[in-house]
Amino acid sequence: MSHNPLLVLEKIVKQFGQFRALDGVSLSLSPGEILGLVGPNGSGKTTCINVIAGLYRPEEGSVFFNGNKITKYSLTKMAHMGINRTFQVPKPFKSLTVRENLIIADQYAKRPHQPLEELLDFVGLTAYASREAGSLNSSQQKLLDLARALATGPSLLLIDELAAGLNPSELDKMAEKIKHLAESGIAILLVEHLLGFINSLTKRVIVMNAGKEIFEGDLESAAKNPEVNAVYLGG
Amino acid sequence: MLVYTVISGILFGLFCSLMGIGLNLIFGVMRFVNLAHGDFLMLGAFGAYFAYTLYGISPAISVVINMIVMIVIGALIYYAFVPRLLRSRDPEMLSLIFFFGISQVIEALSVIFFTNNPRSIDWSALGTANYQLFGQSFQESWVVSALISVIAIVLVYFYLYHTKLGYATRAVMGSLDEAASSGINVHRVSAWAMGIGLALAAAAGALSPFFLGSITPNMGSDITTTSFSIIIIGSLGNPLGTVIGGLIYGLSSMFMQSYIPSWANLVPYLLLFLILLFKPSGLLGKVVRHA
Repeated sequence: MSHNPLLVLEKIVKQFGQFRALDGVSLSLSPGEILGLVGPNGSGKTTCINVIAGLYRPEEGSVFFNGNKITKYSLTKMAHMGINRTFQVPKPFKSLTVRENLIIADQYAKRPHQPLEELLDFVGLTAYASREAGSLNSSQQKLLDLARALATGPSLLLIDELAAGLNPSELDKMAEKIKHLAESGIAILLVEHLLGFINSLTKRVIVMNAGKEIFEGDLESAAKNPEVNAVYLGG
Repeated sequence: MLVYTVISGILFGLFCSLMGIGLNLIFGVMRFVNLAHGDFLMLGAFGAYFAYTLYGISPAISVVINMIVMIVIGALIYYAFVPRLLRSRDPEMLSLIFFFGISQVIEALSVIFFTNNPRSIDWSALGTANYQLFGQSFQESWVVSALISVIAIVLVYFYLYHTKLGYATRAVMGSLDEAASSGINVHRVSAWAMGIGLALAAAAGALSPFFLGSITPNMGSDITTTSFSIIIIGSLGNPLGTVIGGLIYGLSSMFMQSYIPSWANLVPYLLLFLILLFKPSGLLGKVVRHA
């Protein structure tokens, strides 16, 4: 694993009106590393992903990717540079087939990536390739969203609650897939509520609350941290 | 009488499909209701009128000229205004006001330059022959206009389902953010859709004198209302559903004109009322993207 950070966030502030969704968040992520981002609802995890991916522009702070400042780049430009994300609530192109969803990402990708059939196999949707994406259930739509993101050849993948709705056996398989992606050199920022799932993937976790980072380390240490306990247990 | 009404309803319905399809394309891609749709159609009608009366250019040729000009104008309007609208807090409401303003400006300028006098193109401009369809006689202008409408609709289908730009357009219709995350330049695709949407309106405009009679600078708002009814019948956001909407509107309109002519002007409002009451998502309606 390289120790030169691929992604660096410096004191990011994102406001919605008077509400500070992100309040000076800083983090870094290296190629092949998995970083977990956890916290209660409304703590700013998804907003953080949205800022990195170019969906939101922060009021303050900077985002660096490969050493380049990319704070105001669009989603499209980010995708072309190698930053992609999955959505908490995926919205695949429902009138298109599963394969066509990936063909679109492939057509507009500017980076090398796995062949589409391999990606379909990787997410277990080969049997559904000719079906309309709108006919998939929500878990399958999340997998399609992951395959779509991978079809753009990302070197940084932002995953937003991919595990929600998966059964234990599917969770194990998903964890293996994410580990495999990280081993291939992709840096992964993982937003997740399922702490056991995150624990099986990484020992580096950032706990957020009210837009701020309140802890960084492994989950066992987080469980002993009074501030984290107060946030999760109201103590 | 019945056979004549049905065939004329289909011919008129094909024209109506062309009349509405551009409005639906723009709505499908941008979730904006182009309240100036009828005014762009009116500009196309006057373009064809002046091309024919001043230079003898056939309205069939004007369809092509109108489309090329409007693609450019549509893209310019998009890049000049739409990205700013999208950055606002309520882009949909602001877009309504914006396009209403554009409609008023076009109408006012058109009154100044074209005057309020009704104009019409000689019905023989698209040919003087009479065609026999199922034993009924129809002017060549109607048949040719319907045929041009079919060609334009087939081209829209080809664009949406068999071109890279069309796939990207359908992706943007599905989800703006996912499309952008797939590497699609959403603004470029939307600018094309805006241009093509206006081009289709202007193409219908060139044919409108043959179906709607005389043209005036004030015709736009009625056409926008009718077009809106047509796309709601078919399904908002589904351009090809407009073909169904257009045919239903055309047939209903012709039946009313044949059997209860004094009520004919009520057709768009009546159909709008019925569809909103019984199938608000339109006849081909599925869940569409929410902005």
